[in-house]
Amino acid sequence: MRRRFGAVQAVDGVDLELLPGEIHALVGENGAGKSTLAAIAYGAVRADEGSVDATGVVGLVHQHFKLIDRLRVWENVLLNREPKRGWTIDVPAARARVLELAAKYGLAVDPDAVVETLPVGIKQRVELLRELDREPAVLLLDEPTAALAPSEIASFFETVRGLAARGTAVLVVTHKLAEVIAYSQRVTVMRAGAVVARHLTGETNAAAIAREMVGGDVAALATRAETASKALLEVRGLSATSGTSALSGATFDVRAGEIVGIAGIEGNGQSALADALAGVVPFSGELRLAGVTLRPDDSPAARLARGIRVIPQDRRHEALILDWNVRDNVVLGRQRTLPRAGYEAAAREVIDRFDVRPPDPGAIVGMLSGGNQQKIVVGRLLAGDPKLVVAYQPTRGIDVGASALVQSRLIEARNAGAGVLLISFELDEIFACADRVLVIAGGAFVGSFDRAAIDRGRVGALMAGGQA
Amino acid sequence: MNPLLAGILALLGLTLVKATPLIYAALGGVLSERSGVVNIGLEGIMIAGAFTAVVVSGLTGSPLLGALAGVLAGAAIAAVLAFAATRLGVDQIVAGTGLNIATLAAAAFGLVLIYHQPGASREVPAFGHAGETALIVLAFVAAATLHVVLTRTPWGLHVRACGEDPSAAEAAGIDALRTRFSAVVVGGAIASLGGVYLSLAELDLYSDGMTAGRGFIALAAVIFGRWTPFGATGAALFFGFFAALQYSLQRAGVPSELMQALPYLAALVALAGFAGRVRAPAADGVPYVRQ
Repeated sequence: MRRRFGAVQAVDGVDLELLPGEIHALVGENGAGKSTLAAIAYGAVRADEGSVDATGVVGLVHQHFKLIDRLRVWENVLLNREPKRGWTIDVPAARARVLELAAKYGLAVDPDAVVETLPVGIKQRVELLRELDREPAVLLLDEPTAALAPSEIASFFETVRGLAARGTAVLVVTHKLAEVIAYSQRVTVMRAGAVVARHLTGETNAAAIAREMVGGDVAALATRAETASKALLEVRGLSATSGTSALSGATFDVRAGEIVGIAGIEGNGQSALADALAGVVPFSGELRLAGVTLRPDDSPAARLARGIRVIPQDRRHEALILDWNVRDNVVLGRQRTLPRAGYEAAAREVIDRFDVRPPDPGAIVGMLSGGNQQKIVVGRLLAGDPKLVVAYQPTRGIDVGASALVQSRLIEARNAGAGVLLISFELDEIFACADRVLVIAGGAFVGSFDRAAIDRGRVGALMAGGQA
Repeated sequence: MNPLLAGILALLGLTLVKATPLIYAALGGVLSERSGVVNIGLEGIMIAGAFTAVVVSGLTGSPLLGALAGVLAGAAIAAVLAFAATRLGVDQIVAGTGLNIATLAAAAFGLVLIYHQPGASREVPAFGHAGETALIVLAFVAAATLHVVLTRTPWGLHVRACGEDPSAAEAAGIDALRTRFSAVVVGGAIASLGGVYLSLAELDLYSDGMTAGRGFIALAAVIFGRWTPFGATGAALFFGFFAALQYSLQRAGVPSELMQALPYLAALVALAGFAGRVRAPAADGVPYVRQ
């Protein structure tokens, strides 16, 4: 199989065979060509060369859901396959069909719910049900757990196992190696458009796969330097709401030169915390940065001017202008303070420091991979001399190499004396980076651990709302 | 009869008369916008319907044939907009505005060409009272039908899907461009009945500027009605009421210039208080370009 996009040979001579009843993992860094391969297998992208043979229908669950938010569940699941009675849709039959599917695969949904009101885990069920209604012999899952909370991931893979047990061939495209090891039978590793390794999962391990993905050893995280610890951010009784996210009465400090990790399951007040610090939503309570009290009605610009930099969790909608090029995105927000002649140099600096590929300040950001987009966001926000960095899911949906790079830059910012608040749904990320861990559940802080005293089990129990 | 009661009944009757062309135009707008195409060209579609209906009725002596021709003309104008919006991917506001200006000018030119006089056509065979009543009733039937079509038929579901997320619709195997095209054309046919009503039911001739911005009031009714057939119908009745009130108050001696502004002011106030709190179809006005 071959496919070229412009100058990029996205898929270069790949053979892949899926067997009925197996869960096959396809791993690789961003830009390795795995999503393109899946899209070709599905028929959404044409191959320049090569062919696809399948014994039945091929289904694809997209990384970015292809659901229509304001339609109902049954309307989404049966779109373009509506049961008819005369010239109208047989709505009772449609509802019944969705309920029957849901029962068959153990994916409970309300067929009449409007999709936009559903949490992300349920949305994925809807997406899955839509594909399952076509009774696929082959099911392709593109980064299926990227948006799921830890607790949802296990139950998702239980469903996938059930599908495989019925004889479906399942291909999981992912970069989360823990899931590869835990749930797949075979694994194919891609790098730069080509297959570099094939294993029975039982005969390999995560470290070996990671080396094959990046073509060498994975970059170690930056080492943490000893830093002075004077209080930088003082939070007293902070309450705020942002959309459905609510935070009530949070009290904590972030010292200069430390990374405070906020561990929690998605939807427990993290968005309200990040948005209150960014100045996107008002707050009640007290916020002081380096002894200066922050006003609840500060604009985001005022917070930026004080040295607060927030890396938002949704880079595509909250950080980047996808139609613009790398240079303009890097200087976004600094156009007035930076001389025009300095734009190019600022872009080059981010490209060099973050290994942005392609290394072209004129490249349109929307055409870059997610990992490279995120590098631009983080590069922009760490430029200059930030006092407080709020990193909200800074490595969401990006590959190991890019993640290590982003995390290392955060550690370097800490070493340089910035305070870093790392809000993440990935416990591994928090344990790898944080000097201190605070656990958030139900919009309140329920536990605090120093680096030396972190207890994974207790953190997990507190996150889930249990007592430690 | 009690004069007050008689006045109120007259006002309500006039409300129906004034609302009917708005209802047709707004329903056409609803269908078009639910598919993702903003139809600024409603005014032009009404002009095309009104003018063509008069010409054909004059030629054939049959207002029914005139109405049919008017509907076809409205659909044809809508097809031009639909083609520009779907196949050419142009800015829908610009295309619609261009059509409004072009149809207004073409109708003015046509008057000179056909009737050898500027400003207005001669009088032609029209529907009269019974036909007017039928068209008023038909407007409400059209609203109910459109509601059923949008919510209960495969085509209606596909139209809504294309208005929300055409790329997701295409992923499900729907031809988004064709669906949008058909929605805009059918919407144009419905909206043109508003023009037919003005020229062959309320009057029996075409005169320059007789649509008087009703296409734009209808656009306001689409928004005020939250992009639903019944909502838009209700909004059209609301604006129709102020248009009717204008006549009643004129008779009561209030300055007519002020009163003529009433329906437009009502639209403005309604939108200003309302616009921030409603959500258009997510892909409304966004050209869809296949990857």
